[in-house]
Amino acid sequence: MASVTFDLNGKSVQLDNVDLEMPLLWALREDLGLTGTKFGCGIAQCGVCTVHVEGNPVRSCVYPISAIAGKKVTTIEGLSENNDHPVQKAWIEGQVPQCGYCQSGQIMTTAALLKNKPNASDKEIENAMRSVYCRCGTYPRIKKAIAKLVKK
Amino acid sequence: MQLSAVSGSFLAIGCIPTSDGKEVVRNLSNNSDYTLNQFIKIGTDGLVTLFTHRPEMGQGTFQSMPMILAEELEVDIDKVKIEQSPANRELFGSQMVVGSRSVQSEYHTLRKMGAAAREILIVAAAKQWNISKKECFAENTMVKQYNSDKKIGYGALVKAASKLTAPENPTLKNPQDFKVIGKPIYRQDIPLKTNGEAIFGLDMKVEGMFHASVERSPVFLGKIISFNKEEVLKVPGVKYVIKAKRHVWGNEREGIAVVADTYWAALKGRKALKVEWDNKGLDEVNSEGIFEKYRTNVTKAGDVLYQVGKVDELLEESENILEAVYEVPYQSHVPLEPMNAIVHVEENRVTYWGATQNPNGVRDQLSRQLDIASENVEVNYTFMGGGFGRRSMTDMVEEAADIAKKIKAPVKVVWTREDDQTQGPFRACQVNALRGVLGDEGDVTALEHKVIAQQITNQTGKNMKAGRQLMGGVNTDYKIPNFAIKGVLQKSHIPITYWRAVYHSTNPFAHESFIDELAYKAGKDPLEFRLGMMQHHSKFTTVLNLVAEKARWYDKPTTGTAKGVALAERSGGYFAMICEVKQEGDKIKPVKITTAIDLGICINPDTVKAQTEGAVVMGLTAMYNGLTIKKGAVVEQNFDTYPLLRYDECPEIETFIVKSTDDPAGAGETGLPTVAPAFTNAVFALTGKRIRKLPISKNDLVAG
Repeated sequence: MASVTFDLNGKSVQLDNVDLEMPLLWALREDLGLTGTKFGCGIAQCGVCTVHVEGNPVRSCVYPISAIAGKKVTTIEGLSENNDHPVQKAWIEGQVPQCGYCQSGQIMTTAALLKNKPNASDKEIENAMRSVYCRCGTYPRIKKAIAKLVKK
Repeated sequence: MQLSAVSGSFLAIGCIPTSDGKEVVRNLSNNSDYTLNQFIKIGTDGLVTLFTHRPEMGQGTFQSMPMILAEELEVDIDKVKIEQSPANRELFGSQMVVGSRSVQSEYHTLRKMGAAAREILIVAAAKQWNISKKECFAENTMVKQYNSDKKIGYGALVKAASKLTAPENPTLKNPQDFKVIGKPIYRQDIPLKTNGEAIFGLDMKVEGMFHASVERSPVFLGKIISFNKEEVLKVPGVKYVIKAKRHVWGNEREGIAVVADTYWAALKGRKALKVEWDNKGLDEVNSEGIFEKYRTNVTKAGDVLYQVGKVDELLEESENILEAVYEVPYQSHVPLEPMNAIVHVEENRVTYWGATQNPNGVRDQLSRQLDIASENVEVNYTFMGGGFGRRSMTDMVEEAADIAKKIKAPVKVVWTREDDQTQGPFRACQVNALRGVLGDEGDVTALEHKVIAQQITNQTGKNMKAGRQLMGGVNTDYKIPNFAIKGVLQKSHIPITYWRAVYHSTNPFAHESFIDELAYKAGKDPLEFRLGMMQHHSKFTTVLNLVAEKARWYDKPTTGTAKGVALAERSGGYFAMICEVKQEGDKIKPVKITTAIDLGICINPDTVKAQTEGAVVMGLTAMYNGLTIKKGAVVEQNFDTYPLLRYDECPEIETFIVKSTDDPAGAGETGLPTVAPAFTNAVFALTGKRIRKLPISKNDLVAG
């Protein structure tokens, strides 16, 4: 048990008396009350738990708290103030979500991809997006939404 | 849900289910029950709230049901507030979301309620203006007078309208005049799902709750012999290590709940848990054995589930019989939100929070299990992170209640992915055996379809007679003079349940593959062959012709590509699908799936398209993947061995809707039944290789 401090959505947060082995996911959901990041598989296969650490997408279900000290974490709640990040707007415009459970993961993965590669190729988009499952099958709509966001 | 109770402060229209199963529209504004029993609420400020009484799992009823009310009420759906109703069968009738039934079963009731409210408001305005109601009409949350500038907002009419009696038979709008129904309107729940705001069962938290993870026997009916309680209690944060039970289709299932301060601590405690199970010999069961038995049963006569003409005689007489046997595996539902439930048991009172397709089933379960009157059972249901049938069961709620009662505190039980994958109930595995006879003209003169499978509604007990449930999805609309569907019932301790499209997810693979086999044997184009047997059926003919046109069926295929066709009916909807496959390197992939559907009137055509896209993707996963049983337990415990279809594997999906004003059919499963046969029929067209067993093995898709 130890104390860990990191930056969460632009604010410094401290977790006291925390098990360092605990994945970031449970700290976010249970200790910090941010439930937008979801639990899907616990083995980094489905990607619904994706958040940004230092701007890169990571699977928070296997990312131990011990590795987060001093780092910058962004969750779906911190992506924009008013649900108006370009990816969020494209998702609403394209009526992407069905049940919505995986969509935080889809949106965070897309946001990281397009920030790092605004003109990502189809192959690069596929490589990034294949990391997040959608059981409802919103892939065709995700594809259309991303196509509108990619800088040509 | 808290509503103001001041009489006359709003107009509330509801619908009371009567004892004979009918529903009567009522003005509930002055009824003491109105806060619980209403679908429409209009405040004096003009704010319209529409209530949606069926849970949302992605299928879109959250908005499509209120859209029906809004249509008749003449309000702008974008400006109304949509609220979820509480669980209460007495007030709302069925609230279960299964079988794509919500919209189709309540289309008329909802229209009637919307129309009744509109008429009351018109009467109130006419009285105020001292003119005939015939001179008035409603539009855009206002009552107006024809040929005049006179208008008054609904809010200003509420006081007067709340005292009027709702008409029993209000005039419904002509579908030609619809402004809301049939429009691809943005869904109100979608913005909540792009910023993490939507609340699922997993996100619920209640004061003073503990977290639990439960170790359950991987061999289904295993009984606990012993477990290392004391050691697990030493894990930091672990508070209780206790037995927990639930029932699945009458069979008691045991587990050990590790209850802790946090979910992580519960998981750690569970890792330290060692259990000795008495598996009663069920750890000998494996998939090979199950299928071997099913295949042997192909020779059994079976129970006749459907029959026209004289199939047996024709099969006996004919020499030219085509036979084929198809197989599909068990499947798990895999909603991405794992099973979960929060239950708090108090003195003569119980409260539930969670994601369920069956709010009243949860209420019944808790009432029965805890012997608490149902009015003291509070069911708080959330958005679901997928359901697909699994959440129509209440076993996860029973288990949570069992734990909550024992620890005398609220508890949140969250299943792991492995728990979801391995515990079932599953989609049934099956063997389907077909025999067909072709006449001299290449027409099908006789067809026998035998289904060898477990039946959801008859899983325990000694009754071995197959029921008609087993023939779900076997198309009886083809014009075949001698046609029989037979069932050979199988029983197993491995539990099954409703899975998206149910038997329509299995039987059409066999049926539509075999129709294809017959077409090739007859030397006919597979689509023409189907059209030939559907001349009498305008809906199937329409969707077949439409899909042929849209997917360019008759164009010469480019090198390395081929197309396959399949059709089916589900929940009153008719659809035909064409899958185009392409050989890339030595692999064959689906590249485009085109579906033409006739579902009657579509409340929100964009939602209908989304549902079809989703059903296609789920059908593709089920084609590539399945569960196997080894030593009595499920082998594929998580996504590393049971991968779902990924983004880059998803073909282009196009859906075309036939315009119709017929009553709506169910939209939630459209397209799923036809995916596998359309694909395997296309693979046959490309390679000449007939795939009769799912999941498709990698070798099936190597060209050449």
